[in-house]
Amino acid sequence: MMLLNLLLIPLAAAASISLSHRRALMELLHTGAAIAVFGIGVAVAAEVLDGEILVAGTNLLRVDSLSALMVVIITFLGAVAAFYAIGYLRAEFADADLPRARLFFSLFHLFIFTMLLAATTDNLGVMWVAIEGTTLATVFLVNLRRSRTSLEAAYKYLILSSVGIALAFIGTALVYYAGAAKAGEIAVNWSALSAAASLNPEVMRLAFVFILIGYGTKAGLAPMHTWLPDAHSEAPAPISALMSGVLLNVGLYAVLRFKAVVDLNIGSHFTGALLLGIGLLSLAVAAAFLVRPRNYKRMLAYSSVEHMGIICLGLGFGGYWGTFGALFHILNHALSKSLLFMLSGNILRKYHSAEIDDVRGVLHTAPWTGALFLAGTFALLGFPPFAPFVSEFIIFRAGLDTHPWVAALGVILLVVVFAGMLASINRMLYGLAPADLPRGDGLRLWLAPLTLNLALLLVLGLTLPLPLQAALNKVLQVLGI
Amino acid sequence: MSADMLSKLVNLLSFAALGLTILLIVRARLEGQVRAFALQSFVLALLSVLIAIYTGSLELFAVGTALVIVKVIVIPRVLDRAVAKIGISRVAAPYLGTAPALIVCALLAIIAFYVMTPIAASNPLPTADAMPLAFAGVLIGFFIMVERRRAVTQILGFLMLENGIFLLALLTTYGVPFIVEMGVFLDVLVAVLIMEVFVYHIKDNFDSIDVGQLGNLKE
Repeated sequence: MMLLNLLLIPLAAAASISLSHRRALMELLHTGAAIAVFGIGVAVAAEVLDGEILVAGTNLLRVDSLSALMVVIITFLGAVAAFYAIGYLRAEFADADLPRARLFFSLFHLFIFTMLLAATTDNLGVMWVAIEGTTLATVFLVNLRRSRTSLEAAYKYLILSSVGIALAFIGTALVYYAGAAKAGEIAVNWSALSAAASLNPEVMRLAFVFILIGYGTKAGLAPMHTWLPDAHSEAPAPISALMSGVLLNVGLYAVLRFKAVVDLNIGSHFTGALLLGIGLLSLAVAAAFLVRPRNYKRMLAYSSVEHMGIICLGLGFGGYWGTFGALFHILNHALSKSLLFMLSGNILRKYHSAEIDDVRGVLHTAPWTGALFLAGTFALLGFPPFAPFVSEFIIFRAGLDTHPWVAALGVILLVVVFAGMLASINRMLYGLAPADLPRGDGLRLWLAPLTLNLALLLVLGLTLPLPLQAALNKVLQVLGI
Repeated sequence: MSADMLSKLVNLLSFAALGLTILLIVRARLEGQVRAFALQSFVLALLSVLIAIYTGSLELFAVGTALVIVKVIVIPRVLDRAVAKIGISRVAAPYLGTAPALIVCALLAIIAFYVMTPIAASNPLPTADAMPLAFAGVLIGFFIMVERRRAVTQILGFLMLENGIFLLALLTTYGVPFIVEMGVFLDVLVAVLIMEVFVYHIKDNFDSIDVGQLGNLKE
């Protein structure tokens, strides 16, 4: 029942918001739904951590520890972004623009619903439908400003993601075939596949190639990443935060699920090599851009490509530590990137430009925004004592044992990114602010939950709490490691 | 119906479906392209029903019916409406001429056979022989999306790619479960409706539906 509520509440919120005519009512429904979903998400995760596997809807839904990890990330960051979105929407779309605010709030919850469905369903096909649904729910959000550039970004996003995901369907159908050929009937879901160790290796190999290209497109992996900087930079800040921090992980989640099944049948060598290649390429593409970025929202978007690459490297290195580091990094990247994207919305509102050259002295003009942005950048770039430092260290330490050259190349690219991003952010935060700009943080109240992101990044960097450690170990079991 | 008979019919119809994809490159008018898509969808519905009769699967029969409703009736209507509303019907100069484009199609078909034949050979179903044809349809649909500049033709390329994937799944395992198939139809329908809205937006903003003009977002 709890599991059903997790999905029904966002769906009901989306429907009821689309029917309401007053902003206060919309905001009430919006906040209520976000908080309720977060509460249920935590409760679901707590039960899973106790060793239960939740099932609902005649086996359509099934939450194991991997799903639970995703549910926690989606619902927590969903709640933080939902809160910021209220203030952001009030400022951006005043009462004259109420229809657009309605569209935003409504699609926001539809977006959360599709992600939760993707993470909690036991059926490969339904997962595919849900992930395609995430594209359809977000495309109008990307085009919310209705400018020429946002239109272009949204159209590219729609077309490229739809094609990518279509290829993932071929992979899904091939796995169905491999499973059906073995079992004699189509009973293909994650719970059954995780016990199937003698599927046709030829078919599984081809299937994984399609899966990696297809869901890799959604995860923003190079060379299928071209839609990402456009869409993530044109979307309104709360949506950028969720697309970068959460939606990319849903794409990775699909890859992870399939990797576990494929590895069970043909060993991890094949999938590992592909992930290392695509991870390194993503890192290189991002580094090439991040040497000297011009637009800070695009910079954050490319940084997401980089971090997805790092996570793929961790999965490619494999073994206990490689995978552990990758999972931990998924969490850390989600926390830090969503933080930075929401703050970028504040900077954009203050300076009315996304060009790095137009932004000077943020620490002076908007001290809270600037300070949080600085701390978030340190976290994202992997400074100790923040958690991404730990996860990146674990990943590359694991890599040195198994693939020293790949790890070394990865670290070099990381240094390039580090230097480029730090220089750019340095220019934005310090320097002389334009004289006519009034001092003060906009939307300060609405940014308050972001301190939670930062606190978590700090705590997880200093110590790995036992429940989290246990949870990640459980996820590793699901992945067969 | 014997397995041999089914295999022959499936091959024939899959070949027709592939031919209709290629027709998209040859046809110059958008209305004709929409017709080609509707006809292809009808061929696929026929195939579903054929396999439904052979296997006695009621679900597959329902899938065929839903296919007719969504892809033979509703989506072509939506596209016709879009073509009428934007008032442009001739296909503007593609990046490649017809003859070179057909040569690329032939190359893609060869690649499709190269990739899919080993997989098809290990598949015991009587429909498996036609798998490379379906995959060729996927690749050519993809090529059309990249190569043709009109937004409407891009949408048609996407739909034919989608049809190719449907066919591939049908031939490989007699289709995916019913609920998934319905979910896919819903997604495709919503995607097309959204794409239609975008065609209007693009037309309003750029006074053309040439997606080559979408090039403002650069580093």
